[in-house]
Amino acid sequence: MSLQKKIIDRYRILFPKDNLRQISERTGIQLTRVYRLLNGKAMKTHEYEAIENVIKESIKVNPNYSRFENLFEQASETLTNHEIGEIADYIERKIENKKYARTYIYPVFEDAIIA
Amino acid sequence: MKGLTSIERIILESIENEQLPLKEIVNKSGLQEGVSFNTLQVLLIRGIIKFEKGLYSLNQYIPHNINEEINGSVAKKSEFLEIVEALVGTKADKILCFQKIALDQRDEKIFRAMLWNLESFLKDAHQKSRSHIPVKNRKIIFWALGDVQKVVGELIKVY
Repeated sequence: MSLQKKIIDRYRILFPKDNLRQISERTGIQLTRVYRLLNGKAMKTHEYEAIENVIKESIKVNPNYSRFENLFEQASETLTNHEIGEIADYIERKIENKKYARTYIYPVFEDAIIA
Repeated sequence: MKGLTSIERIILESIENEQLPLKEIVNKSGLQEGVSFNTLQVLLIRGIIKFEKGLYSLNQYIPHNINEEINGSVAKKSEFLEIVEALVGTKADKILCFQKIALDQRDEKIFRAMLWNLESFLKDAHQKSRSHIPVKNRKIIFWALGDVQKVVGELIKVY
């Protein structure tokens, strides 16, 4: 998966209901440019960074993310290798299941018509 | 990832011992076409299924280590927990009963006998209907019986 597709997928997970205008307002990328990017046009570095910043900001305000980070540290100090393995298995499964569903929602950016 | 996700398992169970096109697998599994297709590709890459002349079938010659990875106790445990979690979380029609029951020895024997009968009934029911009820329309049933002390002990067990 290309970096571009990954970051768009990540954005879509965090803001699933954003329309083109909202994406444009949030990222500061021109509306017509957003349309092109979502249709597979190659992303420029500053556009990538703009989307990345929005994602980072969104993660910062998500209490579960910092909770997860704290717990990860605590787990490394407290739990055994076996128990950490069980948690890793659990997370891995969650991710795998999401992958199948996510690929379905956004099938082929590369093949989409470029405006 | 070791083992199979529950989605991958449903796809495999939909194929069973047949040779099926994608459309039929979608119909049997109840999964969306895109999800089914992606899952089939992953299973193909892992060598668990074959694709010949537009039909998917199980690979009968899965290496022992991969077979163990798919059907071993670790994989089964993870899959079971995944399904139970989804079942507990679902708001759809379900029966879920979880209680700590005081059972004396005699009542426990009676309960175990009832479970034995239940298992026998379910086995027969499945044999009778498995050919015409696709995976998507089947029921998930599980039961358990354990000692509170032993189960709680497992939670604080040091490995």
